[in-house]
Amino acid sequence: MKQNYLWKKIVFYVALVAVWQAFDATNIWHDQIFPSPLEVGEDLVYGAADGSLFLGIGTSMWRLVVGLAIAIASGMVLGIFMARVETVNQTIGSLVLGLQSIPSVAWVPLAIIWFGLTDAGIIFVTTMGAIFAVTINTYSGVKNIDPSFIAAARNMGAKGEKLITSVLIPAAFPYMISGFKQGWAFAWRGVIGAELLFSFLGLGFLLNVGRQLSDISQVIAMMIVIMAIGILIDGFVFKRIENKVMSRWGLR
Amino acid sequence: MTKLEAKNIEKYFDHDGHRLQALGGINLKINDGDFVCLVGPSGCGKSTFLRIVAGLDRPDNGQVLLDGKPVAETGPDRILVFQEGALFPWLKVVDNVEFGLKIAGIPKSERSEISKRYLDMMQLTRFAESYTYQLSTGMKQRVAIARALVLDPDVLLMDEPFAALDAQTRDLLLVEMQLIWERTKKTILFVTHNVAEAAMLGNRVAVFTNRPSTIKKEIVIDYRRPRISEDENLSKYQQQILAELRPEVKSSE
Repeated sequence: MKQNYLWKKIVFYVALVAVWQAFDATNIWHDQIFPSPLEVGEDLVYGAADGSLFLGIGTSMWRLVVGLAIAIASGMVLGIFMARVETVNQTIGSLVLGLQSIPSVAWVPLAIIWFGLTDAGIIFVTTMGAIFAVTINTYSGVKNIDPSFIAAARNMGAKGEKLITSVLIPAAFPYMISGFKQGWAFAWRGVIGAELLFSFLGLGFLLNVGRQLSDISQVIAMMIVIMAIGILIDGFVFKRIENKVMSRWGLR
Repeated sequence: MTKLEAKNIEKYFDHDGHRLQALGGINLKINDGDFVCLVGPSGCGKSTFLRIVAGLDRPDNGQVLLDGKPVAETGPDRILVFQEGALFPWLKVVDNVEFGLKIAGIPKSERSEISKRYLDMMQLTRFAESYTYQLSTGMKQRVAIARALVLDPDVLLMDEPFAALDAQTRDLLLVEMQLIWERTKKTILFVTHNVAEAAMLGNRVAVFTNRPSTIKKEIVIDYRRPRISEDENLSKYQQQILAELRPEVKSSE
């Protein structure tokens, strides 16, 4: 069943590349605005051979990981406080909903003014893109905890930070995982968006260099890399954690 | 010797804008090592009363005394076993059982020693490494009881713990519960709506009136143990309990 599904995927992508190649062969669009699959492939191989591709991936991933880690840590704290302290929810809660509607690239001007053209600026944009998704999901998770879990834990002597670490966080974890997953997706967009505008190292930077050099195959190549990393992290990191958590928590 | 005493416990709830009195002054004394069952019409507030004794809800009036001293906060001296068990799905059975010990800061080796003893008592040893979703409802309730017993509470509070079980499993656990009580000599306060269950378990059965509830009558069941559900001599006690309960159930409808 699962293999059958994978097989369909492979056929789809092979067909997609074939259609792309066929369209390119018609020469309706000039090579400078529409590259062939081969040219894009060559660009990727070239980037891999001279290491610039891996440096780009490494730089972007590093910024992502730092930014996301800050977002997860602070989003969890904020979400737990919102869920447990009514005043925090009534005040900061409404602000969080508002802030979440700001696209992450809209933080770029502020980041440049505050941090200049530095890694810190890009990390700031990444964090701001991800933090509110983590906050809101953590909040929902804690709000939806079976009240008898909390009652039982308090009855057995858990309070304060012990109650938070031993019950609130693990009980809300299935929700928090969705928050991390959304947060990661926002963070990834944030990193690439910020790199495009800040322009120094990283995949977004390489994408922008492609545009400046009118190197269309590099533009497409970088977009494919950005997408592939997205698929890989979603499938290999988050799906696995999610599957494990869902069955462990008895949700499936 | 009185272990636990409830003095004039009153509790109100807000219901559609008006105040509803759930508990109309509950007075109850429980001796050390006694096994007391509380029965009453559904919605009469017996579970609320149990939560108040556990310190999980506050009474609007009256107080709970443990060994003569008033208690307000919840704590491991009065452990409540929930109807659905309230086991933590993210922990293995053994870690669920050790939860309260870990919170109390008891070192790992000592914890395993204690949990081993109670896992054995509840016949859970071979499920120690399982997660709760892998257990039947009956097994889950065994874990919940083990988790309560490891803390060696002064009073064990049980809120309809066997209500969700099938008849065979329940009969088995009703007998086991009596053996556990005899072995551990715990003071037990057991809420149920099942008259047969009350007659099997209790040394005394306190019948609640309809809302606002008070204790209508206490019935002493002085009969040999372990009692089994097939024992026809118990029906005499069941009739006694039912005679008190039936008018209350009728008036609540």
